[in-house]
Amino acid sequence: MRRERGHVGRERGHAMLELAISAGVMVSCLVGTFQFGYTFYTYNQLVTAVGNGARYAAQRTYRPGSEDVERGNAAIRNMVVYGDAQPAPEATPVVPKLTPAAVDVRWDLAGDGTPLNVNVAIKGFTMDAIFRSFTFDGRPSVQFPYVGKYAPGERER
Amino acid sequence: MSVSMFLLLAVIGMSFDLGRVYIARNEAQIFADVASMAAAKQLDGTAAGFDRARAAVTALPDRWNLGTEEFKGVVIEFSVDGKQWEAQPKNLAALHYARVTAPDNQVEIMFLRAVGGPQSFTVPARAVASTNPVRLTE
Repeated sequence: MRRERGHVGRERGHAMLELAISAGVMVSCLVGTFQFGYTFYTYNQLVTAVGNGARYAAQRTYRPGSEDVERGNAAIRNMVVYGDAQPAPEATPVVPKLTPAAVDVRWDLAGDGTPLNVNVAIKGFTMDAIFRSFTFDGRPSVQFPYVGKYAPGERER
Repeated sequence: MSVSMFLLLAVIGMSFDLGRVYIARNEAQIFADVASMAAAKQLDGTAAGFDRARAAVTALPDRWNLGTEEFKGVVIEFSVDGKQWEAQPKNLAALHYARVTAPDNQVEIMFLRAVGGPQSFTVPARAVASTNPVRLTE
């Protein structure tokens, strides 16, 4: 009788140990899966947002005054972050916690100031994947050829 | 145990591999858009413009696979009417469209192949841009 009880107790102990080990493996796999899945999802959203913003930048009118360029760049950053060049005050970003400050806009200019290309990239954006955070710096990025209207005489509104 | 391992690999594969496939597809489409616009921008009816159009696509810095790999085997074609496409057209003066195809972007599958999925997944992309004004048409 005592021997049988001891045998059952040992089996229960084995089962508990097996469960603890396999649950540890399963949970870490699921956590990893969530982390990668969510990070890839966010990166994909950023790729789309940067592509849309850069395409908008490539087609908009370029006004070369320094204030005008900065206003234009602000509109491009808004397009990346909110999907709208002039977003409503309560607009939500396409990716949580993404701000216009995390969007880098650079112009390649010809000698006479005419824009040749526009580069849009994400810089220093840290995303929170709950179990860990990831920082995107310089990626995703895209370069579009400038195909808009060059208007040195116009002012940005 | 083996059944749950199989299911676990399938779930990881769905998340990891398909996530990468979707990103690559997105990156490839953006590259095709950029490249077709870059080519269309250079077309001015001259042989020099035609050469610049081809060179503009080759010179693009855009990459894929999380921004790490160059696009290979990119096909550049031109058309007068948007219907008949040629890589080396004769009537350069009438060219009005540029089409870029990035056919060979193979994402290596890591987890799904363990549960019967493919070894790799190809994510081709294509875009067409017109000249004057340069705009994407497809």
